[in-house]
Amino acid sequence: MELLLNNLAHGFSVALTLNNIMFCLLGCLIGTAIGVLPGIGPVATISLLLPITFGQPATTAIIMLAGIYYGAQYGGSTTAILLNLPGEVSSVVTTLEGYKMARNGRAGAALTIAALGSFFAGTVSTILVAASGPLLTSVALSFGPADYFSLMLLGLIISAVLAQGSVLKSVGMVVLGVALGLVGTDVQTGQQRFTFGVPELSDGVGFVSIAMGMFGIAEIILNLERPEQRSVLAAKVGSLFLTKEEFSRAVPSVLRGTAVGSLLGILPGGGAALASFGSYMMERKMSRGRHEFGNGAIEGVAGPESANNAASQTSFIPLLTLGIPANAVMALMVGALIIQGIQPGPRMVEAQPDLFWGLIASMWVGNLMLLVINLPMIGMWVKLLQVPYKYLYPSILVFCAIGVYSLSNNVFDVYQTVLFGFVGYMFSKLKMEPAPLLIGFVLGPMMEEHLRRAMLLSRGDVMVFVERPISASMLAIAAVALIAMLLPSLRKGKDKALSE
Amino acid sequence: MKINTRDLLSGIILVLFAVVGYWLNQDHNLGTPRRMGPGYMPMLTFVILIGIGSVVCLLALFSGPNPLDKWTKGEILAVPAAIAAFFVTYFILASLNIFQGNYYVMGSAMFVGCLVLAVPPGWRALGLVHAGFALFGLLLEQGGLMLALVGCIVVAALADPDHRPKGVVGMVIFLCVLCWWVFIKELDIRVNVWPQFL
Repeated sequence: MELLLNNLAHGFSVALTLNNIMFCLLGCLIGTAIGVLPGIGPVATISLLLPITFGQPATTAIIMLAGIYYGAQYGGSTTAILLNLPGEVSSVVTTLEGYKMARNGRAGAALTIAALGSFFAGTVSTILVAASGPLLTSVALSFGPADYFSLMLLGLIISAVLAQGSVLKSVGMVVLGVALGLVGTDVQTGQQRFTFGVPELSDGVGFVSIAMGMFGIAEIILNLERPEQRSVLAAKVGSLFLTKEEFSRAVPSVLRGTAVGSLLGILPGGGAALASFGSYMMERKMSRGRHEFGNGAIEGVAGPESANNAASQTSFIPLLTLGIPANAVMALMVGALIIQGIQPGPRMVEAQPDLFWGLIASMWVGNLMLLVINLPMIGMWVKLLQVPYKYLYPSILVFCAIGVYSLSNNVFDVYQTVLFGFVGYMFSKLKMEPAPLLIGFVLGPMMEEHLRRAMLLSRGDVMVFVERPISASMLAIAAVALIAMLLPSLRKGKDKALSE
Repeated sequence: MKINTRDLLSGIILVLFAVVGYWLNQDHNLGTPRRMGPGYMPMLTFVILIGIGSVVCLLALFSGPNPLDKWTKGEILAVPAAIAAFFVTYFILASLNIFQGNYYVMGSAMFVGCLVLAVPPGWRALGLVHAGFALFGLLLEQGGLMLALVGCIVVAALADPDHRPKGVVGMVIFLCVLCWWVFIKELDIRVNVWPQFL
């Protein structure tokens, strides 16, 4: 306990340096802005800003990028409540009750509970990350290569199982991602694989190019093809204060949402979107005001909004302790760390205490900032929505272009991105999910290394994966998850939960 | 049979990719399971991918109907035309031998291909946004950041029919100033700002 407090104190001393505060604030501001704006999400933004963070120390870079992710969860609720337009996927369910509340004249209350709930959830999950980090790390240090391999396999399978749409296609996308990750120099022999004699490919396919092409450019085109529906009139914000009754109804929902969100955030393949759906389903079944759902029940805002913020923070746990990204945003964080020369994994807590504890402390500082950024300044964010998309997309495009070029000052990356833009567009037309691909791409090379090491240690015996208890249990869970999703009744349940 | 066209195409893409990969992987030494060579993991990956892709195809034959969006005649024609334009431009420029290095040939071919793709209205956004991006790469090193920005923004702006010339000019000026401030003044990225041939 005392150690934890000492570590947290160290974290705050890192997070509260002027430079880190500035970048945390910048991340939160950008996060809120893209959260408010529909049509641009945290994945595109983080890959867009990845190159900009190179000049900064690793800790500062990660603090800012993390701020974008959880900031987007705050911002997303604003448009959901006031305009019935989800700014992010994770606030889709907030539109259901939140907009109804706004039409009943309680928009202010909905915004307040969304922000307060998020802040509470953020605080709890910050403590959770801090407490579980060192604990999980000590467990992870006893992992052998076979265990690592199985753990990554589990992560990949669960991320495919929980992705939207067909499980089988998502598994295919994961493997496709692993295959793309093979391009480049083989680590052990130095042989060039699938590089076609292009020197730029010897370091592998550009990670940022894939992310920007599939999540940035393809998204712009899809938005342009969709008719714009942003001229809706904003509801009046009204009083920001909660009535006594609203407050007492919201408290249990916030608590439940925080618990559900924290849990679903840790899960590989989970994250903010899944958490808010999960919490909404739960509130509709369990809360005191469930009969009011559909007419603006405050539980339907309090629960999901707490859940998505909790999940956005706890999804850092597998990344920081095991080096395994739980979702596409975390895959980008791995990319950011590797570019900074830090190999994510269980040794990070010891080797990079500044980064680990600084990030945790900055999460809490960031949540506090977001409370201030969001509540009193709500009008400013609503104004941002009046910028038409036709002025927005060229800006996104040129930022992408400069960002991708400045990665290694090479135009090859720009052309590579064009290619992945086309691929991403085709994928979305064919309903093939790009997020599992990105996770497969990041984990693929690590899996190959662990597979080789495990097989070398076991003298070529495959049984090593089922003989080691940790590895065997991971594989068992993965198998159960896969089989469960092939059962038609469960699959329908997931589709329903994700599409509502 | 109710064919799920989207899934069928997805499966075909997965299988095709894997088969090509498997074939390319023939060059690499497999090694033994104990000492895996550079070709071992790719072999495993592509075999699994062929398997998954085949099952996706198979299931797609019964899980439909799920047709693709209807394509107009122009849209159907533009795709092979764009691909042809890419290769024709590539080989003409490559044989002229005037552009050395730095992927000018590839960038120009991409730009021309994207423009051809943008001819039918249905592909306009797809073609022009990518054309703008490719043009940025083409202009950046010799033309400098400012020229590249202008080219990229103007071409990309054509993708949205709501744009008016005045608005585009305003946007160009705003973004040029913004990018100069963020990327040159604050972040100091190593790139030419103004054209090199002046």
